[in-house]
Amino acid sequence: MRRLTWFNATSLTLGFAFLYIPMIVVIIYSFNESRLVTVWGGFSTKWYGELLQNEAFLDAAWVTFKVGFFSSIIATILGTMGAYVLVRGGRFYGRTLFSGMIYAPLVMPEVITGLSLLLLFISIGLDRGLFTIILAHATFSMCYVSVVVSSRLVSFDRSVEEAALDLGCTPFEAFRLVTLPIIAPAVISGWLLALTLSLDDLVIASFVAGPSATTLPIKVFSSIRLGVSPEINALSTILIGLVTIGTIMASLSTKRAVMRRERAERMAEQAG
Amino acid sequence: MPETVFEPWNDPAANPLIQFRNVTKRFGDFTAVDNLSIDIFEKEFFALLGPSGCGKTTMMRMLAGFETPTSGTIMLDGQDISPIPPNKRSVNMMFQSYALFPHLTVYDNIAFGLKRDKLPPDQIDARVKEMLRLVQIEKFGQRKPEQISGGQRQRVALARALAKAPKLLLLDEPLSALDKKLRQDTQFELMDIQEKTGTTFVVVTHDQEEAMTVASRVAVMDHGKLKQVDTPDRIYEAPNSTYVADFIGDVNIIEGHGKAQGDTMAISWAEGQPPIIGTPSKPMDDGNVSFAIRPEKVAISAERPADRNNVVQGKVLDIAYLGNLSTYHVQLPSGIVIKAQTANSRRRASRPFTWEDEVWLSWTDTAGIVLER
Repeated sequence: MRRLTWFNATSLTLGFAFLYIPMIVVIIYSFNESRLVTVWGGFSTKWYGELLQNEAFLDAAWVTFKVGFFSSIIATILGTMGAYVLVRGGRFYGRTLFSGMIYAPLVMPEVITGLSLLLLFISIGLDRGLFTIILAHATFSMCYVSVVVSSRLVSFDRSVEEAALDLGCTPFEAFRLVTLPIIAPAVISGWLLALTLSLDDLVIASFVAGPSATTLPIKVFSSIRLGVSPEINALSTILIGLVTIGTIMASLSTKRAVMRRERAERMAEQAG
Repeated sequence: MPETVFEPWNDPAANPLIQFRNVTKRFGDFTAVDNLSIDIFEKEFFALLGPSGCGKTTMMRMLAGFETPTSGTIMLDGQDISPIPPNKRSVNMMFQSYALFPHLTVYDNIAFGLKRDKLPPDQIDARVKEMLRLVQIEKFGQRKPEQISGGQRQRVALARALAKAPKLLLLDEPLSALDKKLRQDTQFELMDIQEKTGTTFVVVTHDQEEAMTVASRVAVMDHGKLKQVDTPDRIYEAPNSTYVADFIGDVNIIEGHGKAQGDTMAISWAEGQPPIIGTPSKPMDDGNVSFAIRPEKVAISAERPADRNNVVQGKVLDIAYLGNLSTYHVQLPSGIVIKAQTANSRRRASRPFTWEDEVWLSWTDTAGIVLER
């Protein structure tokens, strides 16, 4: 191991302090006995207990989960289909336009996406609630899925699909038996991205949510306006914990994949 | 009993397995295959040879069903295959990149086509094992493609394409990804497997050595047209054009004016030099011709040989020592450079000629071929 120079050590400390001090503050205050956010009143876990009693928060969390689950699945299916057509569909008329258009929602300000969806839902007379949030989230996150999946499709050898056709597959069988298993990692990461985006979204959800359904980010944001409560700190700490576990699991599985590839390479060499 | 030679293309009664009839394929303005007709017979090992962009891959993809001809028909076993999609054709292809399914084991890769045919499992198992034996990779059945070497992947690709016992197997640059040593060994194995299975092979390659080694007949292509279709020895020794002569192997081309003299032709090629005597590729009239001669048919000597008609003097310009052979580049007084090749059959012999030496080049009347220009 090499020792860091003082310059590198300083950069590292500053950078990570900048990133993590806010979160550490939240975590520390979530264990604060006192109701006042700025005064330390001793260690306690009572706010976690109170959080679990808070029906409004639990309902919002449940709504967020449902929205994330369904919208990410819809987005994954639609996004993958779109990517497949744009990459594999040949040079049909207007393809370049469609390819460009799929990126547009990525750069569109969320306020505009939210507003236009709201106007659409009102004009077709759809009652705002769980269903409209799911539709809205699927709409904006499918572009992300599509981008992730199409970059995988572009990089993989077309002749693998042709080989499947050559060996007797119908085009749909070739997609199901060959293409889909190969692009599965990209589809899964697209799905995770869609899920994260949905769980995270405040702006679009606040346009299309109705009185019957509120997501967790909306709930947190609206309760903050009445003053920061220790319950919010506890909730944030739980979320930070979930994200940390998720990240660690993702990096472990990446590491395992790398090790598997290295093992395969060794086997290939020995087989030579 | 006389030995029967495999030459169905010379048998007027033989029915070709594949017939291209006036096939043209255009991509936009580009004509990849230009009004091309060809017959390929059963059990042939047929090579399509040409530089990249000559249309050979397009022909193969039309046979596989990935492209349809712009005009003309392709018949397989007497049936027009144009309307048949790739998955319904009794044609399988071995891809240049091998196109193995990375998520399946070697065994499942080979079984893939058989499973599509809904064969009973024990039959599939027997066939896959037979294929693994045929290409000698029994040990690796349960590995993934990434866990075996390049040469083994090539075998898996071949086994997978052969598993369904197609009438016709297409091989797209089958050996291009292998290193030279492995490629040479694999060429012979490929021929062996072709003979064992009795399958008709059509191979696309830009490597003339590969085509010459494996094929029963070679089709030399250029710009979507066939230049010559013939056995490897005829292609090499009796090319019908300077393009074919130049594309296959090394050749010296001397241009001049030819005059028929019985079976041979006298070519005046430089002021004050006696004419070169050569054998025409086909009966031809007097006129401008190209004389083509392979370097190994040009003898090099220090003294003027007495018994030959074709003798020229020149100066050694360059020597390429290849180990088994040496090629001398000899410049004639007219400026033309002629290559002469000698076999280095003895190990310790010192090189007889060196740079700037005056040498004599000579060849027999039948060594060179006269081609129309």
